Amino acid sequence: MGLTDPHVQLDSITKFYDAQEKQLHALNDVSFGIEQGEFVCIVGPSGCGKSTLLKIMAGLDRPSSGQIRFQGDPLFGPHPKISMIFQSFGLFPWRTVLENVEYGLEMRKVPRNERRGFSRQYLEVVGLAGYEHMYPKQLSGGMKQRVGIARALVVEPEVVLMDEAFSAIDEVTADILREEVAEIHRETEKTFVLVTHNLSEAIELADKVVVLSSRPAKVKKIFPVKLERPRDRTHSSFLHIHKDILHLLKEELENTIIRHKLRGIKELQKLHDMEISGEPGKAKSQFVT
Amino acid sequence: MSVEKQKALTLCLTGRIVSGRKYANYLWVIPLAVGFAAWELVTRFNLIPRSDMPTFSNVLVVFFHSIQDPLFLLRIVQSFLNVASGIILAFSVALPLAFVAGSKNRFDLTLTPIVMLFGALPDLSFLPLLVLWFGPGNIAAIVMASVAAFFPIFFTVREGTKNIPRELYDVTAIFKSDRVSTFTKMVLPAISPHMFSGLRLAYDFDWEIIIAIEIATHVAGIGSFIEGSVSTGSLATGFAAILAIATVAIVIDRLFFGTLESWARKWA
Repeated sequence: MGLTDPHVQLDSITKFYDAQEKQLHALNDVSFGIEQGEFVCIVGPSGCGKSTLLKIMAGLDRPSSGQIRFQGDPLFGPHPKISMIFQSFGLFPWRTVLENVEYGLEMRKVPRNERRGFSRQYLEVVGLAGYEHMYPKQLSGGMKQRVGIARALVVEPEVVLMDEAFSAIDEVTADILREEVAEIHRETEKTFVLVTHNLSEAIELADKVVVLSSRPAKVKKIFPVKLERPRDRTHSSFLHIHKDILHLLKEELENTIIRHKLRGIKELQKLHDMEISGEPGKAKSQFVT
Repeated sequence: MSVEKQKALTLCLTGRIVSGRKYANYLWVIPLAVGFAAWELVTRFNLIPRSDMPTFSNVLVVFFHSIQDPLFLLRIVQSFLNVASGIILAFSVALPLAFVAGSKNRFDLTLTPIVMLFGALPDLSFLPLLVLWFGPGNIAAIVMASVAAFFPIFFTVREGTKNIPRELYDVTAIFKSDRVSTFTKMVLPAISPHMFSGLRLAYDFDWEIIIAIEIATHVAGIGSFIEGSVSTGSLATGFAAILAIATVAIVIDRLFFGTLESWARKWA
């Protein structure tokens, strides 16, 4: 590991995948670095491939080309120091709260008593002491995500990846949970990466916001956020950054729409040309495909 | 009579205790008792001739007599073992196939239409062939039972596997679970509610299949015992045997599947 290497480095990540017999170009040459202890939020138009990018960072998916380097070494598959928090919590419904938190340590063959102890500590951190023996179905969405957070932290990761971690939770609870995650970040100095479509959320939490373009996604722009923490969503500089990113995203979205429209117009034009050249049959089949 | 006693009595008479939460689960006893009483009356007064139908009290007497007879019990055990072997055999083949079919689309498209095709055939239509190949004995009965048990287990496990959220696979991957523990600690519990209903269906099917085979091919078991009793005119013995099967089937159903299902209900 070189001294200048960032904690996590994305080197021209490109991803194609097959969807319904068509090849989709999801990510195109995505590169950026993440420093140790940094909180990075990735935003972009919906369906742009930001979750795919996070999955690649987690080692759950392989890039078609390019690589992720973690502490200087290329990443092949999930890494014990990289943990993840999921959008729909990803809890095992047949396990109690405590057993869910224990899961990661269990997979690492940590003795039962030891892992119980660690898990209880982390349940306390997320404010779920006393709920150890409940099943996920007995918990609210916010509490379920607290279990998810405890499960991700108990394995003592250096990088915590979060995939839309607050989007399946009601607004007020999500707000509280965000504050708690920000506090955990400040205290543990772990690296956090959050994929989200919620711009305010990104600015509230991030040291820098990576804006992706629409598919195939490239890094459109990286916004450093140097506001004082805890952040005030009504503060003028907060609103200023919000406006800038929103503007960029809107522009991106409009470009996409225009691109789609242009493609539509071109196709219509093609149809028109064919009909003039007297090949209605061919035109029809073109239309069907 | 004290006021409390009077109150209690009127409560009983108006049936409010019966509709109370505590007793509501046992309401089915009433129609059952009425049915047995009707049976007793109809036969006692010869509305149905005794040669066609024994009295209920007579059946009960024979029943309690029979269950003290080791040979009678052995026949029930024999039938039960055939049922259990059929299920175990079917389960060990159906579980891996159904899991792969549920998780690999290509395999599903290759295998499942064929399974459906065979499933659409009446199971017992294979019986003459099985008897030809294996002879009229326990092997033919067990093979037949496992064929019948295969379909409910296959389809429920396949459905359960398809219903596992992708996210749970991601969770196992993130925490670097190996293949074996992914299967035992994630897939198996995740599909268990489906699997339990499949096993229960298979259990019900297999009792019917086994009894039918024992009657048709005279394989030693409780089915052939019923057939023998009825054809020699001892109807009460036949009825007692039916009662015994019902008892065994229900008790095992409650003890085994009841326990599994109440575990699943805790979290599902």
